[in-house]
Order: sequence, then structure tokens, then C-alpha cells
Amino acid sequence: MHLHSFVLKDLFRRKTKLMVAVLGVVVAAAAIVAVITTFSVAEESFHEATNKFGANVVVRPAIESIPLVDGYSTMGSLYAGNNYIDESDIQKIYTIRDNASLSVVAPRLYGIAELEGSSVVVMGIDPEQERNLKPWWMVRGHWLTDEDTEVPEALLGSDIAVPLGLTEGSMISLSRENISIDVRVAGVIESTGDNEDGYVILPLATSQYLLSQEGKVSSLEVRALCNACPVEEMSQQIEGVLPGIEARAMSQIVQNEMAIVDHTRSSAMAVSIITLLVSTLTVASTMLASINEKMKEIGIMRAIGASDIQIVSMLFFEGALIGAVGGFIGFFVGTLASFIAAPMLVSETPDPMWNILLPVVGVCIFTGMLASLVPAKRALGIDPAEVLRSV
Amino acid sequence: MSDENNVIGQVHEQDMIRVTDVTKNYSLGSGEVEVLHGINMSVKKGEFVSIMGQSGSGKTTLMNLIGMLDSPTDGSISINGTEITGRSQKELVQMRRKTAGFIFQQFHLIPSLTAYENVALPLVFAGEKDEGAVAKAMEKVGLHHRMHHRPSEMSGGEQQRVAIARAVVMQPQILLADEPTGALDAVTGAKIMSLLKSLAGEMTVIMVTHNRELADHSDRIIELQDGYVKISI
Ligand SMILES: Nc1ncnc2c1ncn2[C@@H]1O[C@H](COP(=O)(O)OP(=O)(O)OP(=O)(O)O)[C@@H](O)[C@H]1O
Ligand SMILES: [Mg+2]
Repeated sequence: MHLHSFVLKDLFRRKTKLMVAVLGVVVAAAAIVAVITTFSVAEESFHEATNKFGANVVVRPAIESIPLVDGYSTMGSLYAGNNYIDESDIQKIYTIRDNASLSVVAPRLYGIAELEGSSVVVMGIDPEQERNLKPWWMVRGHWLTDEDTEVPEALLGSDIAVPLGLTEGSMISLSRENISIDVRVAGVIESTGDNEDGYVILPLATSQYLLSQEGKVSSLEVRALCNACPVEEMSQQIEGVLPGIEARAMSQIVQNEMAIVDHTRSSAMAVSIITLLVSTLTVASTMLASINEKMKEIGIMRAIGASDIQIVSMLFFEGALIGAVGGFIGFFVGTLASFIAAPMLVSETPDPMWNILLPVVGVCIFTGMLASLVPAKRALGIDPAEVLRSV
Repeated sequence: MSDENNVIGQVHEQDMIRVTDVTKNYSLGSGEVEVLHGINMSVKKGEFVSIMGQSGSGKTTLMNLIGMLDSPTDGSISINGTEITGRSQKELVQMRRKTAGFIFQQFHLIPSLTAYENVALPLVFAGEKDEGAVAKAMEKVGLHHRMHHRPSEMSGGEQQRVAIARAVVMQPQILLADEPTGALDAVTGAKIMSLLKSLAGEMTVIMVTHNRELADHSDRIIELQDGYVKISI
């Protein structure tokens, strides 16, 4: 038989006492788990929402550019002369140090062409990359295909398609100087209120042919994969591998909003930590209360051969056990609470965060042992002769 | 002080316990109070000694000193030839495990543990495995059929017998019983008394009692008065 099995037996035969102490830990652990779970799902949904802000880094040739539209300078600029990025250089971006954080690298080629006698902005894109960049585009019809189609396809902004009555399957003719191509409308993008409303969007190769810019792109839109990527740093890294270009981080807005989420989360965390401290006191006082009734038992144990170390180890084991059980139950209670709270607070249903189960139990074990410090100190001060005399 | 005043142990080689000029002071708020004023006594191996005396005369104090639960202010105590005064806590714990078994008036069993577990506790603290020692001790007190009952499920007499089993499970050289029958009725007390008597010989038994009749069953009576040994018959 082992010393600690006596503690176990003792604890489980005093269920009320055990429950009071455990409950204190459960409350604290549940609060922490609920906060962590709710905020991590909130953060996730926030990042999904912030994806709509577009690219995190815009890569352009390092020259003066003429904004196409006032205000929305990020969505496209028209570059004078032959200032383009070589399409073959794009791969170099993947050699930056933080390349694991790159999620989308979308090339763009901008130019002007004639459609039905008037000038329109043509934007050449990599369909697959662009689709990742603009997941919120609602296309009536279908998205551009990656494969070469017999007749080139185009997506039209609603400001172009609607006045001309163009829909999926319509044929249009685009021309520039002496080049002319027939294009089938793959789909119409429902108005986003953004620049693309006025664009004719073509596969990159088709646009390069039309604009006579084979192998060239005007800009790259780069999205970082992670939530709190060092986009500023990544911009510098990109400038390092692509000489003669300018990379601008576009994350200010995202970062500001993140700061708000972070701030709210740290407030909630502070509340949880206070809860944890209170629970430490609860456990400590429960144990202290029980040490008063236990003084006699500790005196007896001393008389029948328990050493100081054994007494203290029993108390710490008891604290750790209360912490472990409380932390374990608290994890599930907290997860359950976040299942109820998160849909109301952040309109999201979280998944149980199994990865925090062990850390939470660990913290609770530590808390329980911390709470045992006071009783342990008290126990060491017990004079068995005196205790046994007084009872 | 010398043995002339308190003529007790004559055959020194056989002395299990030798108490020499022992004083014990307790600090009481402002000053100190001397509870034992130079006790001299010795107990032979296997002897059954009763200690009597008025309440407050220092019986429990003396028992605690012999049982190494407390240290004398002055003087020396040796057990089986080994000096126990001036030793570290750690040494005392280890000596106590092997040397002294305690029985108290209020039994002092751990209520949440079964009889078996209570009796096994000294083995656990000593880091020893139970290789039949618990069963043997329980048999000695005639309770081997009550191993898995809790104290609350047993009578006072039975609880005291479990306490005796716990005191002897480590086969100590000395059994210290402080008013072991004080909380029991006369008939049950007499049974406990004869149980203790049967243990004497195998080990040295010192019993504190207020009951002259019970004390008469022992080999010798030491009477304390106000911290002195008054008589030793
Ligand atoms: N920790 C202490 N501090 C101060 N005085 C104490 C302490 N312990 C005991 N005393 C005093 O020492 C004296 C002897 O106490 P002790 O318990 O040894 O007496 P006793 O003979 O066992 O009495 P009883 O028959 O009532 O059990 C008493 O006067 C008691 O008040
Ligand atoms: Mg007493």
C-alpha cells in the first residue's frame, strides 16, 4: 500500500469536502476555458471577415503610377510605359524567409481595351489565385476555368454587363489597336461597390495577348496565411527577392481591429486569472478548514511514525488531486459554457479545444498545490504532543 | 539527583528505559512553567509498569518524552541503551517507528480509514510492505474478522483494540498506553487491561491509569506527584 492511496481513500470518503474544494477549481477552470474557447472562435470568425479587406501586401513596380480611380488606389493603378513585373519572377516570392505564411499570390495585369466602341479596363488574373483572394465575389454564371478554353472567357463587372445586357454565354468582342479577340462571358460579378464593377476580367494569358504584354504583370496581390503575420517584415523580404519592385503592407486596418480583439481578450483573461486566484483561495481555505479538523489526525500520524515530508507530501498530493479533478471537470464545463455563450456573443459555435485540456489541468494542479502551501506550513507547526493532549 | 532518592532500576543491563534527572518546562505566555522537576526512573525489558498520579501531575508529559513525541528540557532518556535526547527530528521519527507504539484514551483512529488501513498506516509511513503483519496484529487483539470496518462501525472496546493492533504492528519495544481504559466501561476496560498484560513480556508496557484496581494488575506502579516521582512500588 502506498501513502498516496491513503489520501485517495480519505478524500473519496469525505465527498462533501472534496466537492467543495473541487468546485472552486471547476469554476476557475471553466471560466478560463470558456474565455479561451469563445475568443479563439471569435478571432477565427474575425479573420474570415477581415479577409474581405483584400490583399495584405501589394507588389508593384517601383515607379510612379497613376491611380485609376481616386480613393481606391489599392485596387489597381495604371502604370505608364513598360513598367511591369516579369511573370517568371513571381516564383521568387516563394523564396522569402516567411514563405510558409504565403497563402495567395495573385498576379494582375491592367490595361485599356475597346468594348462595343467604348474604353473599358481589362484586368488579367490567375483564376485560381484570384478566386482565393475574392471568395466573396458572387458570380452569376461560372468562374473562369484554369484550362485553356477554345473561346477565351471573361468575367464582367456589373457596371459593364448590366447596361449592355450581357449575361453568361453572351459573346463580346474586345480590341486594342490592331488586336481583336472574341470572348464568351463566363459570368457576371454582382456589384461589390468596388473597382471590379467596371472591369472586364480575363485569364492572364488572354489579357497579355490583348494588351501585348506577354510574360508581364502589373502587380501582385499577396495574402499572408496567418492571422498575426509580420506583414511589414514580409513586405521587406519580398522587396529583397524582387529588386525594382515596391511591396506595401495593407494590414493596418486588420491590425487595428486585431488590437481591439486582443484587448478584449486580455480583459477577459484578466477576469479569468482573478477567478483562478479566488479559486486558489477557495481551495486553500477549504483545505485550511479541513486542516483544523485534521490537526488531530496529523498529530496521530506523527505519533505513529509519519515524517514531516510525508505529511507535507500528503497535503500536496491532496491539493494536486483536487486541482486535477477540478481542472478536468472545469474544461468540460467551460467548453459547454462556450457552446452556449459563443453563438450569442460572436454568432459562432466553437469546437472543443482539446489542445488546452492538458495545460488547463496543469495550471489547476499547480493552483491546488499552491493552495496546499498554507496548510502544509500549518501542519509542520503542529506539535503532536500538544494536539493529542488537547483532544 | 541520584538513584538514591528514587530507587528504581537495580539491574541496569536489563533496563529498557532509563530516565535520568529529566525536567520539562513549558513556556507559558510570559514565563516558563516547570512541569517535571527531575524525574529518575527505569523500566526493565518486558516489564508492565503503571503510572499513576493526580491530574496535572505530568504523566502524559512523561509518556510523550519516553515516546519521543517531545524532548526534555534537561536530563537524559535512553532506550535500550541508546540515548534519545539531543537527536534530530529525522532521527527521532525513525527511532519512534521502531521503538514506540502509542495507545490513547480517545483511541485516535483515523475515521475515514478501515481497521485494516488504520493498522497498516505505521507500516506505510515506515515504507514497509504488509507481509501479514496487519493480520497478525489484528489476530492478537481478536479482531481479524473486522478488518474492513470503519471506526464508526465499531464499539469503543473494539476501536481501542484496533488502536492496540496499530500500536504493535511494527513490533515496537515499548508500548505506551495513556489511560487506555479511560473511555471504556469497567468490563471492557478489564478486557483491554488483560490484552495489554498479555502483550507485556513480548514488549515493555507503560500504562497511565487513574484506576488503582487496574494498576494492581501491573508488575509495578510509579506514582507521580507535582512533577516528582512520589513512590514506586
Ligand atoms: N503545552 C503546554 N503548555 C503549558 N503547560 C502545559 C502544556 N502541556 C501540559 N501542560 C501542563 O503540564 C502539566 C502536566 O500535564 P500532563 O498532561 O502531563 O498531566 P497529566 O498527569 O497527564 O494529567 P491528566 O491526568 O489530566 O491527563 C499540567 O499542569 C498542564 O497544564
Ligand atoms: Mg494525561
